[in-house]
Amino acid sequence: MEKLNVLVCDDDSAIADALEIYLKHENYGVIKAYTGAQALQALSEHEIHLILLDIMMPEMDGLSATIRIREERNIPIIIISAKSEDTDKIAGLNFGADDYVTKPFNPLELMARVKSQMRRYTALGSIALKNGILKTGGLELDREGKELRVDGEIIRLTPTEYGIVVLLMENMGHVFSIAQIYEQVWNEPSYSAENTVAVHIRRIREKIEINPKEPKYLKVVWGIGYKIEKY
Amino acid sequence: MDTKLKNTSHFKWTKLVAIIIVWLGFLGTMGGCFYLFENRHIAKSSSYIETYSFENNFSELLYNTVEHYVTLQNEANIKYSTDDLHTEAENLLRFQRIKNQLSAIDNFFYYICNTENGETWSNLAGKTADPIQFIQKQPANAYFNAWTSDSSISISRNVESLMADSPYETYAAVVEPLQAGDLFYDDYMDYMQTKARINAATVISIISFILMAIAFIYLIYITGRREPEGQIVPDRTGRMYTDVHTILVLIAAMLSLFIAPGISVDVPKVLSIIAIAVVLSLDIFIGLFYVLSMVEQIKTGQIFTNTLLYKLGSALNAFLRLAFQGKVFKEWILLLLLGYGLINGLLFILCAETYRDYFGGVPFLFMLLLLLAFNAGSIYFAARSLVALPQIMEAVKEISAGNLDYPLNSTLIPASLAAFAEDIRSLQGGLKKAVIAAVKGERMKTDLITNVSHDLKTPLTSIINYVDLLKKENLENEAAAEYINVLEEKSSRLKQLIEDLMEASKASSRNLAVAGEKVDLQELMMQACGEYEEKIQKAQLELHILAADEAIFVRADGKHMWRIAENLLSNVIKYSMPHSRVYVDIASDNAYGTFTIKNISAFPLNIMPEQLTERFVRGDESRSTDGSGLGLSIAQSLTDLQGGKFQLEIDGDLFKATVAIPLWAEE
Repeated sequence: MEKLNVLVCDDDSAIADALEIYLKHENYGVIKAYTGAQALQALSEHEIHLILLDIMMPEMDGLSATIRIREERNIPIIIISAKSEDTDKIAGLNFGADDYVTKPFNPLELMARVKSQMRRYTALGSIALKNGILKTGGLELDREGKELRVDGEIIRLTPTEYGIVVLLMENMGHVFSIAQIYEQVWNEPSYSAENTVAVHIRRIREKIEINPKEPKYLKVVWGIGYKIEKY
Repeated sequence: MDTKLKNTSHFKWTKLVAIIIVWLGFLGTMGGCFYLFENRHIAKSSSYIETYSFENNFSELLYNTVEHYVTLQNEANIKYSTDDLHTEAENLLRFQRIKNQLSAIDNFFYYICNTENGETWSNLAGKTADPIQFIQKQPANAYFNAWTSDSSISISRNVESLMADSPYETYAAVVEPLQAGDLFYDDYMDYMQTKARINAATVISIISFILMAIAFIYLIYITGRREPEGQIVPDRTGRMYTDVHTILVLIAAMLSLFIAPGISVDVPKVLSIIAIAVVLSLDIFIGLFYVLSMVEQIKTGQIFTNTLLYKLGSALNAFLRLAFQGKVFKEWILLLLLGYGLINGLLFILCAETYRDYFGGVPFLFMLLLLLAFNAGSIYFAARSLVALPQIMEAVKEISAGNLDYPLNSTLIPASLAAFAEDIRSLQGGLKKAVIAAVKGERMKTDLITNVSHDLKTPLTSIINYVDLLKKENLENEAAAEYINVLEEKSSRLKQLIEDLMEASKASSRNLAVAGEKVDLQELMMQACGEYEEKIQKAQLELHILAADEAIFVRADGKHMWRIAENLLSNVIKYSMPHSRVYVDIASDNAYGTFTIKNISAFPLNIMPEQLTERFVRGDESRSTDGSGLGLSIAQSLTDLQGGKFQLEIDGDLFKATVAIPLWAEE
């Protein structure tokens, strides 16, 4: 199989070099660039399957580069930036990035995100959806096979966890409170204050999310309840 | 102290001496001047013959001589010229008297000749061959005939009338040097004596005056001083009011002016001199003390303040201030009130006067209208001021509540309150400036921290990455692996610190967006405790949640609330005594929903709760566990940001954190 190529673009060469090592370890081809302009140049010269892009760079910053790339290309872009404000993240995603990772990042988490994006980008053709399959982003619930897959990988869940996921997936975007989840999944009225549900949710997140503290799918709406995001 | 006393007494004596010198000098000057004034003609005259006394004596003698020889002539003529016996007797008596007088004179010489018959009378017989020339040589001489006169001195008696229509020529003179024995000589002697006295008096006057002046200047110089070259000390005790003093002095002066002329009449001369001296002495003492008192008050700057008028004025002023609570009422408001009363009274009187139906009641109606209009105008003016007041009060209330942009509409505020309104506006401007400056400063600080954090994160990324890569290398050395673990731990701690620092600076500068969501406090605490369940178990703690029966909704930002709960729970895990219980209470009162987290500290908390929320302060400063020391500070800032109350209590080892957030109120 042909090697998948990742374009690493960061003006700090130490970071670019480190990323190169990690990516090569994951069997990706790596092309390095140190400015936005070089990134565009590299993109036109090589076949690239994914871009890791810093924001604060000389000669065209990462956001401008993202806009330019999105004008003609559909390849996954993961922004890696020291800017950690919500507004920065929102801006990056709105300009066309697929993911946003803040510095300093956990290299393992970043690799997981790269793999996730890559799997979705390179999945040959679109898998014909069977009946009873619910899908949001890379998360697929096969109710007939009683299986949950993230980016194609099967996740092992306990029956209670599976019940919670089914409830939330069937009502994607809807927020359920702890009491509602308890009553519907346990089939018992909730009397006492219990944090059982919260504990289960946390475990599910640890199984399906790359970074459970910043969940992509199973989100906590603080003081209100939980939901599975609809993509 | 001793020297001071000495100086004071030294001054006392010299002062007394100076006062006596002024007194005596004044008396001397006045006495001398008085003597000079009394004898001013003698003083002015260059010789005896210029004196009035000489002129009078000379004139009388001349007159008598002429009367004797020209008018009366002899006893036969007297008897012949009149029939009246009484006149005859009188003339005879006068003839005899003049004869006696002339015989007693030694220095007066005359030469009378009848131009018709050449008959002459003279007392110069045998003395000189040419009596006329002899007489005309004398400095004091006189010549009369029927028509003309020629005298070297002025003649005060009407000699011309005696000489009129007579054929006589009269020559007369006082011959110098004077011979002893007659009126003129005695008079001359007196004159010479007086002249000498005048010189003495002049010298005495001048010396007295100079002494007095020196003593007076000295007194003026030392007045008010307690020591030589010393400070001028105002002597407030026993000091008369300046104006009262002035009036008393004027009265004394008037009295002495009334008394003085009365003294010289009907009193022996020595007595009158003594009396005048006494009066003058009194005057000089009164005057001197007055002048010295004034000088002292000028020196101490009390000349105007130490007056009865000033005291009365300031008393009145104080009274008015008290009466009108000072400051609020300015002078012109008082004038306005007075003016209002005056005009109203005037109009009322005019109304009453015109009431008696002159000109069919038209003037009365006019005056009544004027009165009503004036009062209506005044009430309108006053009402406008009063109506404007609540407006200003509202503005002040808004400003004090923090609404610094509240506009104070100046068009509706009358002139009487315009200055007040202007002051409030400038106050508002100053406050706004201060707030803007403070916000700007805080923002700059936050920006600085944010920028520095960004700059720190980039190298930190490399450190974390390469530590991780190093860890993956096959290191034979066990120690190296251990070192790498330390590096990994510390670099992640550094990461946490930087993030907390940014968050703390943003939260405390209120530079953070806050969503006002409807948050269920119970749900939140369940979720939070769910997140920490495993860590709590790992820390060997037992969690007890004590919830209310129903949901407690607060107006808050869910993410910020989670951050607060997270910080408190992670503190609990870090610092609680293993095998102790942790209590989470959720409750509400009528305004706030609260949650309280209680735990037992593993270490003694010898610190004030207030200090715990200060940045970078931790319960035990010597500990080097993970945590930035910013957790409680961030929790407090975020609670404040949401309008809540954050409270920490320490009771022995019991640590209690309470977060109260305003309840959700349906609009």
